[in-house]
Amino acid sequence: MAVSPLIVPGSGERGPHSKSKLSAASSGNGTPSTTLGSNSLKDVAEQMNEEEKDKYVKGKKVGEGTYANVYIGHHKSDPSNLVAIKKIKVQQEYKEGMAPDAIRELKHLQELSHPNIISLLSVFSSKDQNLNLVLEYLPLGDLEVLIKDIENIHYGAADIKAWMGMLSRAIWFCHENFVLHRDIKPNNLLIAADGEIKLADFGLARSFADPYRVMTSNVITRWYRPPELLFGAKHYSGAVDIWSVGLVFAELVIRNPYLPGDTEIDQIAKICAGIGTPTEENWAGVSKLPEYTVPSPTTPVHGPEHYLGMFGTAGPDGVDLLMKMLILDPRRRITAREVLEHRWWRGEPRATRNEDLPKKGPGSGLSRLGATESKRPGMVEGVARRLDFGA
Amino acid sequence: MSRLKSQSTALTDDPLNDICPVCKSNRYLNPTLQFLINPECYHKMCSTCVDRIFTSGPASCPVVGCGKTLRKKGFHKAFFADLKIERECDIRKRVGAVFNRREDEFESLSSWNDYLEMVEGLIFDLVEGTMKEKAKAEETLRAHRAANAKEIEDNKRAGLEAKDVELQREREEKEAVRQRRLAILREQEEDKLDVEKERREMLERLARGDGDANAITKHAQKVILKKSSARRNLAESNFADTANGSAPSNLSIRGLKKKVAPKAELAYDPFGGLDLKPARYTLQSSYENEWLDNAKNNTLHMAGGYSMNEYYSRTMFEAFSGLGIFIGDQVVEKSLPAAPATIGTVGAAEAAGGRLRQEMNTDDVF
Repeated sequence: MAVSPLIVPGSGERGPHSKSKLSAASSGNGTPSTTLGSNSLKDVAEQMNEEEKDKYVKGKKVGEGTYANVYIGHHKSDPSNLVAIKKIKVQQEYKEGMAPDAIRELKHLQELSHPNIISLLSVFSSKDQNLNLVLEYLPLGDLEVLIKDIENIHYGAADIKAWMGMLSRAIWFCHENFVLHRDIKPNNLLIAADGEIKLADFGLARSFADPYRVMTSNVITRWYRPPELLFGAKHYSGAVDIWSVGLVFAELVIRNPYLPGDTEIDQIAKICAGIGTPTEENWAGVSKLPEYTVPSPTTPVHGPEHYLGMFGTAGPDGVDLLMKMLILDPRRRITAREVLEHRWWRGEPRATRNEDLPKKGPGSGLSRLGATESKRPGMVEGVARRLDFGA
Repeated sequence: MSRLKSQSTALTDDPLNDICPVCKSNRYLNPTLQFLINPECYHKMCSTCVDRIFTSGPASCPVVGCGKTLRKKGFHKAFFADLKIERECDIRKRVGAVFNRREDEFESLSSWNDYLEMVEGLIFDLVEGTMKEKAKAEETLRAHRAANAKEIEDNKRAGLEAKDVELQREREEKEAVRQRRLAILREQEEDKLDVEKERREMLERLARGDGDANAITKHAQKVILKKSSARRNLAESNFADTANGSAPSNLSIRGLKKKVAPKAELAYDPFGGLDLKPARYTLQSSYENEWLDNAKNNTLHMAGGYSMNEYYSRTMFEAFSGLGIFIGDQVVEKSLPAAPATIGTVGAAEAAGGRLRQEMNTDDVF
């Protein structure tokens, strides 16, 4: 730091002024910060935090979650370089410290750096000890939006393969680094400007547990929750994420959630009907799990014909992979590494390149009437055409 | 220059404008008087003067104080009455032939705009600049031409192609519009004929006198309506076809843009070019340890899908993490700005190393 200690108070005084202006614009709560107090010398940590915070400018709110608000922002030095700033809400339950979701997200995101995992650019605290995570800005929505927009968005087997490839790489990378994501679903799969899928929301993630250490079975959004968690297993593995990946795969193909259970009981019933009833024959020891209940009569596990009829778009190899992801017994379920070693990836059709993947937004549905008045190349709306002086 | 401007603005009604500044012959005496300029100095003179002075070879400009050496070949009729504009256009043509990059060659809009601004600055220097600035700009132009001869040639060709495609497109669009208009006319014609025919039939039936007159008229009207609406539907579906038919011309333009990168496609790598297999040890499928026996045989662990292999790989990773990492290298790496796209688990390894030491004290796994 080039600032000499003598100048620090002065520069510090300027800091909160500009900040209070900013926060007044964004939150409407313009109480000036009192961090400076009478002894205006700040310690090193505070200075570093201040420095980090000054690198970014917070813009308007773009989303609200249960435990955080998301704002759009940009680098102070480069306004075209956009970021997303996730401001963790102060929660009533956790007055004493930070909410566990925030800690989980922070802890795992700062360790994982992969093209298919959302990257954490910076962290700083604003007034009242509010935690702000600076994440990369992913403007093209999430996979759920694409799946649901049946009218305007059309995609095929090659596109599904590309998306599944990116998702599988993300989850493989998590598992290789001993992180369970535990909340994989289409709307946690964000899409970057270049079409790359990025796994986000590590609010439920945790490291692999040691033996004998219990983990909660109350994780993963219900529709994507594997049977072992529904049966209350306390010791589980990366197989839980693979089940969710399999259901995302199924959802991509049929463009509808495959097993949308209304309650946990209904979810088990849906699994029994859609995949097969977990019994001692196909899953040794399942009946010993604490909350094991299955509806009778039992349904035998479906064969490939059943899946081929429903998910034929993915091709026979794709269906084979899907079936392996949706094996009831978590010990026999395919692992993330084996998923990527599957022959489906190397077969035809080749996965679509990122720039050719379908994207949401205007231009996806070209209206018939506008066809003749389509834009000429080199002509931008509202900008005059460049004169051609070429000889 | 200001003199030139005032002349040009008053071209039509100022008789002085019709006098050759060199030989002073005027249009009144010589109705075929024609002025020529030479882009060397843009001094205008009548064609007779040009013939008289330059036929026998290069000579200096007859305008007082100019003295530039001109050739007859260089003279041509000015397109613009304002010679200042004529000159600027000539310069633009010359610069445009050298700086002929296209927008899709640039990575971002802002770099394209920067380029345009640079070119515009150069043009301004050439048009309005002082002698020194002009010479400098001239030098830049020459250097750029020499350095990028091949690219300039490529772009020129690409530009011509794009123009061709554009022309083709315009032609197709016009044709489509014409077809549409014809179709509408034809449809109207057919409509008229149909109505006429129906009416005639109705009259005939009325004349024959079979059935109720009212019913016949009503029925006939209904038939006419039905037919015309059916035709409209048909026409619409035809339009849909022609609209689709013109689409390929759009596509060909898009393809043209992408032609720049015909890179050979590599085989799809499901792992995205990453290999995370441990390099310093080989992982066994099973390790003997008393502490683990219980878990291995515990139904709750096994039925829940708890994976011993995951535990082995993590423990081994943590045991070996930090090896081969030197603080000296780390300091160098830290000074670099964090690039979000890079892949690294060094942080993970370090953090895991810290955690491992604690666990070793309490549990003593191995």
